[in-house]
Amino acid sequence: MELLQQVINGLAQGGIYSLIAIGWTTVFGIVGVMNWTHGEVYMLGAYVGYFLCMAGMPLLPALIIAMAVGAVLAMLIDHLGYRPLRKKRKMLTAGFITALGLSTFLRYSATAAFTPDPRAYPGILDYKMLSLFSMGGSTLAISSIHMTILAATIVIMVILQLFISKTVTGKAMLAAAQDMQTLELMGAESEKLIKVTFAISGALGAAAGVFVGIIYSVNPMMGALAGLKGWSVAILGGIGSITGSLVGGLILGIAESLTAGFISTGYKDAIGFTIMIAVLLIKPTGLMGFRFEEKV
Amino acid sequence: MNAEIFEDVQETAIDQPQRSGSQLKRFVLGLPSRPGTMFLTALLFILAVCFVDSFTSTRLVPTYIKHILVSCLIYSLLTLALNFVSGYIGQTSLGHAAFFGIGAYITTLLTKYTPVNFWISIPIAMAIAALVSIPLAMVSQRVKGSFLVVITYGFGEVLRYVVINTPSLGASAGIPGVPAPLFFGTKFGRIGPSGKEAYILLAFGIVALTAFFMHRIAKSRTNYAFSAIREDEIAAVAMGINTKYYKMAAFMLSAVLSSVAGSLQATYAAFVSPEMLSSTQSILILTMVIVGGARSIKGAILGAFVMTILPELFQMVKDVLGLPFDPWMILYGLILITMMRLRPQGIWGKGAGQ
Repeated sequence: MELLQQVINGLAQGGIYSLIAIGWTTVFGIVGVMNWTHGEVYMLGAYVGYFLCMAGMPLLPALIIAMAVGAVLAMLIDHLGYRPLRKKRKMLTAGFITALGLSTFLRYSATAAFTPDPRAYPGILDYKMLSLFSMGGSTLAISSIHMTILAATIVIMVILQLFISKTVTGKAMLAAAQDMQTLELMGAESEKLIKVTFAISGALGAAAGVFVGIIYSVNPMMGALAGLKGWSVAILGGIGSITGSLVGGLILGIAESLTAGFISTGYKDAIGFTIMIAVLLIKPTGLMGFRFEEKV
Repeated sequence: MNAEIFEDVQETAIDQPQRSGSQLKRFVLGLPSRPGTMFLTALLFILAVCFVDSFTSTRLVPTYIKHILVSCLIYSLLTLALNFVSGYIGQTSLGHAAFFGIGAYITTLLTKYTPVNFWISIPIAMAIAALVSIPLAMVSQRVKGSFLVVITYGFGEVLRYVVINTPSLGASAGIPGVPAPLFFGTKFGRIGPSGKEAYILLAFGIVALTAFFMHRIAKSRTNYAFSAIREDEIAAVAMGINTKYYKMAAFMLSAVLSSVAGSLQATYAAFVSPEMLSSTQSILILTMVIVGGARSIKGAILGAFVMTILPELFQMVKDVLGLPFDPWMILYGLILITMMRLRPQGIWGKGAGQ
């Protein structure tokens, strides 16, 4: 019974990891840069949502505005940070260090602007424990907030999956993840495609930020750990795969909550890295990744 | 796609024409360019910093500056160490703080709880660091580029969580009271006017030895193998280079040197904490290498000095202005971004002599 309860807690948490991971994995798969700033976009999205909600806006429009701001922000980051390097074709080491620099810059600017204190969202969703199932005096329960967020995550992912599989841009993105240069030869505009990728990534990151803000609180440092969880999940699920990220996120959430429940809460954050290292060593393509071994 | 971009980075770094800057630089800055002269100048400088105030009644060089100098030298050792992996064989590693921490923790445990003294603890820590680096070196045979970054990062973090969750290692509080090393029966802290001189000289000696060793390697056949691996690993294998062996050697050397830096740091600060193993530390070391210039000995040392001194300066600015936030970290981000835009090979990168 306790095991099942932990699994349910993990699922709720895992949904958010999936959202972060998809944003990260699309950029990594298509542009090939380890986007450290993703965690920062997530943090800033959470702040936008916080300020809007504090101003009295209902959740849904606040979420949509935060996603839009996240998209614009990610596009700006790409435009100012990565695009010049891409033009000079110095992406790997230089891109990685630039991402590091951008993320440090954003994180500490946010600390300067918003103060390091954590802030809690106003109570916009009612907190209720919904009991799912009871047997022998113990009950399996999930909070209504987690439930709503898990549902919202799945809706966002379905929309994204439809976008990618039904529209031309989405299909081009899939192709770009495989081979950007060939796609360029075939007449696609890679710069435009990369812009769309960053926009999607930013919007997803911001949405995840708002969700985490509602459950816990927002602070300028929240991006760091979340960004790392994003990597772990994306690698576990397979770079570039949306379903993979969803599954990976849920698995990581469950693994974390089981570790916290049965081994030690101290090792909760380490389990993600352990899984990630094991996956990279055993099956570098991840659970549902494409085969692109030359990248590994 | 990644692989090709990667090659471009390396090629541009190498094809950088050797501008006549070196003569100009020598003229303007008076910097000696030969390693021997350089060593002597540095030694004289260090001796002056250390002992000039023993001859006067007032302190000419504040203890604070000596403290910064020790930090700079320890970080120089770390950047030189990471240079083997990130510079010579071109594999970015974000887990080097792990070896730094291993050195520090082994020295602490041995000198504090066993009769083993500091000098013997160093080789033991080196051996353990070398052993721990083997799995990481094996991983680097299979995984490259961004994925190796991720793995090394995870490796460091997992080790940190292990330390935090082990009460016998002091958990998150760390272990205080690491005994000072003895020099012919005298404690290090009792040598010289401020008690930091012996540490400065020891650190300088190790850095100088390491730099000399690297200088020899850069001139040897081993360096050809390293460059071949860095430029195109598949071609290197095809040419008959035992890439496994060289990668293993680079990782082990790097780990061993990092652990020496850790041992020094532990005994100097008389305190170890899991912070030493943190990813922030690894990232800092990597940025020092990149800012200074990969594959350049002078660059690595310069990077370590610049990135150790600047935060201290900004700490002063922060204290003077009473700012509620740390201006250095914001600037640090900006420095990295501008560097990568304007001079991705680092201040003293390849082309300016090794």
